[in-house]
Amino acid sequence: MSDHNPNAPSHLKHYFHDVNQQYETSKFAMWAFILTEVLTFAGLFVAYIVYRSWYPDMFVDAHKLLDVNKGLTNTIVLITSSLTMALAIWAIQKNNKKLSVFMLVATFIFALAFLGIKYLEYSHKFEVGQLPGLYYSYMGPDAMHLNNPHIFFSIYFIMTGLHGLHVAIGMGLIAWLIYSTQKGNLTSEYYTPMEMIGIFWHLVDLIWIYLFPLFYLIG
Amino acid sequence: MSEHHITPLKTYLIIASLLLFLSGVTVWVSYVDLGPLNIVVAMLVATVKASLVAFFFMHLLWDDKKNLTLFLMSLMFFGIFVTITLLDTEFRGDLGLNPEVKNPINNRAAFYDTLPLTDTHGHPVDGHSDDHDKDKDHH
Repeated sequence: MSDHNPNAPSHLKHYFHDVNQQYETSKFAMWAFILTEVLTFAGLFVAYIVYRSWYPDMFVDAHKLLDVNKGLTNTIVLITSSLTMALAIWAIQKNNKKLSVFMLVATFIFALAFLGIKYLEYSHKFEVGQLPGLYYSYMGPDAMHLNNPHIFFSIYFIMTGLHGLHVAIGMGLIAWLIYSTQKGNLTSEYYTPMEMIGIFWHLVDLIWIYLFPLFYLIG
Repeated sequence: MSEHHITPLKTYLIIASLLLFLSGVTVWVSYVDLGPLNIVVAMLVATVKASLVAFFFMHLLWDDKKNLTLFLMSLMFFGIFVTITLLDTEFRGDLGLNPEVKNPINNRAAFYDTLPLTDTHGHPVDGHSDDHDKDKDHH
């Protein structure tokens, strides 16, 4: 249609009726992707539930080897980054390019901080040998009586690791958003990529909202 | 695309404050001993937080309801996944026909027998040494 319409905006693909249909289609597809993401993590949550029901006491004792303060700091960092991401979209909707780029940069820095804190946690675990499966070697006075803590750390590392991978991918996407917005490719007329990456970023936050109490705050 | 809903700045700030507040609540309540209710409260708070994120930050509240439907479907499949798996893992050996499948993996893995005891830094210690003094040196 837009092939014949010289007034159609350049971002409108010819196979869509209008910009609104194009936007709604993109968003629906993004939510289909979010569905597959939830299902990916669902398998890991099921593993967590099954093993916790088999080893209730070990999970409670093994979680004490994690650092609640680092976990809480990361929760605050990630919630704040979710806010700055939402504000980046709010700013571009208001056509405030400068503020939008600022908020995206802030989101990127918070994501970096999250991974930095995660790195500190991981390197400590590697040092003392609180590792998954056969790599587990920690027999300290607070853990020697535990029944198979390597299972707790297998689930901890695979779940927080996959989540951390999502944070890293999100950082790459946000870096690209900073570039596109700065270049002027995204405006209040067309900001679909920012809205979609925003949804992805909030999902990363949403999953951490469950991981935090499940690993750091067991009864 | 002026027809898109623009969420007011105030809404975002209120939601973010609520999320930070609830994060504090969930840490605080984890130090109160509620027995088996601890996990219920923790998951309730997490679900409230997740709903705030989904409805306000992810704009589901103002979106066409087909997006919310997709999201709820993923959670529904998760529920089915958990239920059917637990129907297996929670009731193994209950018929008494094959008692050894009850708690099949509750034995300690064999490799623990070969692991040396360590201090809190992961360094091996011999059973009766004065590792308390060593610990004091570190701190």
